[in-house]
Amino acid sequence: MQDSKISQFLSYTLILLLVVVYVLPLLIVFNVSFKSFEEYLLNPMGIVTDIQLSNYVEAWNQGKFSRYFWNSILYTSASTIITVIISLLAAFPVARGYVKWAGFLYLFFIMAQFLPNPLVAQFKLMLSLKEHMPLIGYDSKLGYILLKATGTGVVFMMFVGHIKSISRELDEAASIDGCGYVRYLFQILFPLMKPVIATGVILTAIGTWNDFVGPLLYLTSPENFPITTGLKEFRGQYGNNWPLLACGISIVAAPLIGLYVLIQRYIISGAMAGAVKS
Amino acid sequence: MYPFGQGPARYLPYLLLLLPLAQYVIFYAGPSLFTVIYSFTDITNVPGKDYHFVGLDNYRDLFFSGNASERWDSIGRTLYFTLVVTVVQNGVALLVAVLINKRLRGDTFFRAVFFLPVVLGVAVVSLIWTMMFDPVGGPVNQIYQLFGYSDTFFGSFEHAFEYIIFVQIWMYMGYSMLIFLAGLQSVPKELYEAGYIDGTTSWKAFRHITFPMIAPAFTVNMLLSIIGAMQTFDIIVATTDGGFNTRTMAYDVYKETFRGSLEMGLPSALSVIQFLFILVFVVLAVHFLRKREVEH
Repeated sequence: MQDSKISQFLSYTLILLLVVVYVLPLLIVFNVSFKSFEEYLLNPMGIVTDIQLSNYVEAWNQGKFSRYFWNSILYTSASTIITVIISLLAAFPVARGYVKWAGFLYLFFIMAQFLPNPLVAQFKLMLSLKEHMPLIGYDSKLGYILLKATGTGVVFMMFVGHIKSISRELDEAASIDGCGYVRYLFQILFPLMKPVIATGVILTAIGTWNDFVGPLLYLTSPENFPITTGLKEFRGQYGNNWPLLACGISIVAAPLIGLYVLIQRYIISGAMAGAVKS
Repeated sequence: MYPFGQGPARYLPYLLLLLPLAQYVIFYAGPSLFTVIYSFTDITNVPGKDYHFVGLDNYRDLFFSGNASERWDSIGRTLYFTLVVTVVQNGVALLVAVLINKRLRGDTFFRAVFFLPVVLGVAVVSLIWTMMFDPVGGPVNQIYQLFGYSDTFFGSFEHAFEYIIFVQIWMYMGYSMLIFLAGLQSVPKELYEAGYIDGTTSWKAFRHITFPMIAPAFTVNMLLSIIGAMQTFDIIVATTDGGFNTRTMAYDVYKETFRGSLEMGLPSALSVIQFLFILVFVVLAVHFLRKREVEH
C-alpha cells in the first residue's frame, strides 16, 4: 500500500514535532550548563557566547558526584547480579518441574505483581532489621541492595518462559556426561539464555539506577546516596542557579545517554520483550 | 524425572530454591501480607513497641476523620490522573507507533528518542522539566508570554497537577509506543494487500485490520498504564513534593509512612484501599478488553 505524498508529509511533520518536544529540552539544558550565572540571567535561552567549562568542575566537586556515582554503580551491579542469579535458581526447577508444587511456586512468585503495596511493612522491616542486624537494615548499603534484588517478577517470568523452550533432553544428556546441577545451570544453561538474560540485566539495571524514591526512604546517610539522591540534594543546595543545576543534570544524564546510544537496540528490544511477556 | 542424581543430591534444587524464596518472602510477600495485617492495628514505626488490633478504626479514620476531605480529594485526583494518563498516553503512543510502522526514514532513531526518558529516569526528567517550566527564565514561560499568558507551573495551585500529568505522559509515552509497535509488527502484510485490492481506505484498514489485530498489545498497554498511573508518586515527590494540591493516594501512602506521624496503621489501610482500587480497575479493564479481543 503506497501512501500519498500528503499523508507522508503529515506523518513526518507530526513525528518531527514530537522529536523536537523530546530532544529540545536536552539541548536547552546542555546549552544552559555552559553559561555563567550572569549570562543566564540576562539571556536565559540564547545560545551560549562565553563557554564556562568551570561550571562542570564546580558542579562535580560541590555535588560530590564522584562518590554518588560509585554508589550507584555498586547498587546497580550488585542487585542486578543477585537478581539474575536468584531468578535463575528459582526459574529452572520451577520451569522443569524438578521440585514439588512447581505450579504453585510459579504462581506464588509472580503474585508479587498483584499483592497490596508492601511499602509500609517494608519500611517497618528495614527499621527493625537496623535494630537487630544493622548490616542489612535501614540505611545500609547491603540492605538496600538486597531490597532491590528481586528474584521474582518480570525477570523470573521471562526466564521460566525461555527455559521451557530449551529442550529437556539437554538436561539428561548433560547429566549422563556427569554434569552436576549447579554446573549445568551456570555452564550450559546460562550461555543458552544469553538473550533473555541480557533483557533481564537491562531492565533491572535501568530500574535500580533510576530508582528515585527507594534511596530517599532507605538511605539517609550522604555516604550511601546514589546519584539520583545526589542530584536531588544538589538541587536543594543550588536553588535556582540553573547553569550549575544544568551541569548536574548533564553529569548524571551524559553517561546514560552515551550508554543508551551504544546499546539502544538491545534496550528497546528488551523493553518490548519485557513488557509483552509480563 | 530429575536427571541430576539420586539420594541427597535430589534435594539440591530445593536447597538452592531457598535463596530466592527467602528474598521474596522477607522483602516482598511478607511485607505485603503484613501491610494488610497492620491496617487493622495501631502499630507505630518505633521498633519493638507492642500494638493492638483495632478493627476497622483505621479505615473509619481515613474516610470520616478530620482529614477526610483531603483523602477524598486525593482519591479523586488519582482517578483523574489515571484516566488522563491512560487515554492521552496510549492515544499518542498508538498514533506514533502507527506512523513509525509506515517505515518512515529514521524510524529506529525516532524509537530511540521517544524511549530515552525511561532510561534517564525520574530524577533527571523531573529536574529537566522543572527547568523548562521555570517561571523566570524557563523556555515554556517565554513561549507563553508570546501569547500574553504566564504561569508558575509547579508552583501554583492552578495547574501544578496538570503539569505533573504532562511529565508523566512525556516520560512513559515511548514505553507504550514500543508495545504498540511490537503488536503492529505482528500484523501480516497480506491482510493489508487484500484490503488494498478491495479498495479499502486507510482509515477503514486501520479500523478493521490494524485495530483488531493489535488488541493484545492494547490490553497490555491499558493494564500497564492503569496500574502504573495508580501507583505513581515519584514524579510528584520530585516536582512539587505534594504541594499545590498534587497529592494522590500513592503519594499519601508514602507521605504518611515516612514523613508524617509515627503511626503505620493508617498508611497500611490506605495501601489496602489503593490495592482494592487497582483490583477493580484491572478486573473491569480485563473484562471489557477481553470481550473486544474475542469479538473480532
